[in-house]
Amino acid sequence: MIELGIEEKTYTLNLGPQHPSTHGVLRVVLEMDGEYITKAEPVIGYGHRGHEHMAENRNYQQFLPNMGRVDYLHALAYNQGYCMAVEKLLGLTVPERGEFIRVILSELNRISSHLVWIGAYLLDLGAFTPILYAFDDRENLLDLLDRITGSRLTYCFYRFGGVPRDLDEEFITGTRAFIKRLRSRFRDYESLVTKNVIFINRTRGVGLITRDQAVRYGLTGPTLRGSGIAYDIRKSEPYSAYPAFDFQIPIGDKGDVFDRYLVRILEMEQSLRIIEQALNQLPNGPIMADKVPKRLKPAAGEVYQAVESARGEFGCYIVSQGDLKPYRIKLRVPSFGNLSILPEVAVDTLVADLVAILGSVDVVIPEIDR
Amino acid sequence: MIIGLIGIIALVATNALFLIWMERKVSAHMQLRLGPMEVGPHGAVQTVADALKLMGKELITPEEVDRPVYLLAPIVIFLPVLLVFLVIPFSRSLIIKDMNVGIILILAFSTLAVLALLMAGWSSNNKYATFGAIRSVAQNVAYEIPLLITVMSVILMVGSFKLSDIVAAQGSYWFILVQPLAFILFITCATAETNRNPFDLPEAESELVAGFHTEYTGMRFAMFFLAEYTNMFITSAVAAVLFLGGWQGPILPGVVWFLLKVYALIFLMMWFRWTFPRVRFDQLITLAWKVLIPLAFANLLITALVLKLR
Amino acid sequence: MLKDKLKTALASLNLAQVSDGDYAKTGYHLEVTAGPGQMPAVAQAMLDQGCFLESLTAVDLRESFTLVYHFASFDELCRTVVHASLTKEAKGAQAPTISQVYPGADWYEREVYDLFGIKFAGHPNLKRLLLPEDADFHPLLKDFGAEPGND
Repeated sequence: MIELGIEEKTYTLNLGPQHPSTHGVLRVVLEMDGEYITKAEPVIGYGHRGHEHMAENRNYQQFLPNMGRVDYLHALAYNQGYCMAVEKLLGLTVPERGEFIRVILSELNRISSHLVWIGAYLLDLGAFTPILYAFDDRENLLDLLDRITGSRLTYCFYRFGGVPRDLDEEFITGTRAFIKRLRSRFRDYESLVTKNVIFINRTRGVGLITRDQAVRYGLTGPTLRGSGIAYDIRKSEPYSAYPAFDFQIPIGDKGDVFDRYLVRILEMEQSLRIIEQALNQLPNGPIMADKVPKRLKPAAGEVYQAVESARGEFGCYIVSQGDLKPYRIKLRVPSFGNLSILPEVAVDTLVADLVAILGSVDVVIPEIDR
Repeated sequence: MIIGLIGIIALVATNALFLIWMERKVSAHMQLRLGPMEVGPHGAVQTVADALKLMGKELITPEEVDRPVYLLAPIVIFLPVLLVFLVIPFSRSLIIKDMNVGIILILAFSTLAVLALLMAGWSSNNKYATFGAIRSVAQNVAYEIPLLITVMSVILMVGSFKLSDIVAAQGSYWFILVQPLAFILFITCATAETNRNPFDLPEAESELVAGFHTEYTGMRFAMFFLAEYTNMFITSAVAAVLFLGGWQGPILPGVVWFLLKVYALIFLMMWFRWTFPRVRFDQLITLAWKVLIPLAFANLLITALVLKLR
Repeated sequence: MLKDKLKTALASLNLAQVSDGDYAKTGYHLEVTAGPGQMPAVAQAMLDQGCFLESLTAVDLRESFTLVYHFASFDELCRTVVHASLTKEAKGAQAPTISQVYPGADWYEREVYDLFGIKFAGHPNLKRLLLPEDADFHPLLKDFGAEPGND
């Protein structure tokens, strides 16, 4: 029902929770003045499954599969964050080959997440073809990851102390072929999307995020880097095998939607560079730390481990009291902070712009809701 | 006349069937996939299967709609389209009624489609549908104007509203060669008039669920669908008549040439749909009023000047 | 060095503890203990040094709560954790909000209220975030789940 008061000029429009362009179950309650939005309030929690409560009732190994379900698009980053946090508490060191394998798989996963994002985002904007090209590339990638990890989407592959299965020759040749193929595909994306006048008009100058807003809302990831701040955990707080690789952090200059899009495209290229270097420098050796206890009883204390997922900083905060089960686990997810900026950025925009902005923030609702 | 009308209805139905299949195949191949392959050779009979399915669907009428308007809208969108077919010259002899005001009739009746969209959106009693209807009215009104002015440029050259005269005047060269700007403007406006991507805001799926036909199901939804494809045929037919020499062409019979040109233009429109993202609403309106109308006027002026100076 | 600047800034606030953290073991460079009432001032000091709020959560220690704030900086690696102990009161624990300093804290505090029942005084919109609005329980409390079927 439309309620048009004589005195008030605004009416309420509900976007979601089932809607083609909210990525997941997100509801945005809009107050509109004609086609312009005066207030936008996201309503979340439709997918709350109680992961943090589950953490307190399972032991550390039993909670590991949950990490793949929190953010299903970049599940390996969550695997990595959680495993590293627990390894810190246990005092385990992952051997070099294990770290390299973790990096290779995680970067491949990052590329697959960004490909989904490109496809879905352009679908929101009305371009029906790029999603199929992106998913075509992604199929290739998922087959590679499937070979090693056994799953296509919600990975549960890393273990405390390393990885359980080693890479084989076919994976390495397949990955090299994939790198070559994706590089040539980037040219297509460039000409069909990045240089497309309609796309540029839809995204340039829309959804500007300033540095001050970024600090006050705690943004991370490409959403932050589009505004010109070069903060990437892989470079600012290096972990795992990242210090061994030479790669850049792409940043935007204006902080609009187009910059955030460009940052993700360039990040995929950088991920390819990392994977190439990792494959070239892959050391021999064990993939799992020796002497990993079967009953994990980490020392009492707390730890915070940050990793860079496709959406931003994933932080795993674990409080242990020396038991088999964690006392408290807090999952600091990037989409939570990134989405909270929406009410401020969406004021005085059109619904079409809201869709563009919401997509550019790249939220995955299950990780917000946990 | 009666035979003609029956012929039209048959043509419209077959055309829609063929175009839906063509759209699915074109979109599929552009998206690195195959499209319908199961039903009939290369999915040729798929549309028939879909039509049968749609006819079998329950016609749900939501409770709070404005019943007479709601039920009339699919009919109103279809009738003008059928009437326009009376004047289209499929070949030298295949015109049902070669009226003196041929082109004016076409333009007048195409505008009636807007009324139907508004009726559909408003009567649905649904915010999204209303949004879609409002957008489509603004869009269609805005793009009518450059369309009309562009057509006027061609009429100036011919000196008559009769469609057969326009075709005859292109005996030595097609008008696209002397009026390339007008052709581009016409195709742009035609894409906007038929609500096709990149101007398909009224049906923008990702923003408005389904726009003005959100609340229509089954056969009523099919009518809107059919009307869109038939509209595409008509605007392409008009473009072929105005710019591409109608049914003229060597060796093959006139009808075949005409249909070839029409379907080539339809393919062009489909190509647009699967390549471009959607234009935002205010950019759409800005484009019409600030870019296309001045260009159309300029074109008209130049045409008039050239004709006067000749 | 950001760590030293932070130490100087926080020294004037009369906090219970400001000390170096063991980064290799815990991931913190600076460990701070404060009272909940001092948090707005601490947050302002962190914002003035250009830090952003990384995370805001709570831990239920059965006899009391601990509010845990994580701050980090975009420019220089320095993670600060602030622990604020909160007593459990009969009518529900309360702490002042820091959302006027960090608007990003708005949702974090709503989540803490939702999962623990800790109220934040001065919060502009303290509604439940993840659970349905009419839920009447706080699932991350340690005595939640004691009834069968609640796990």
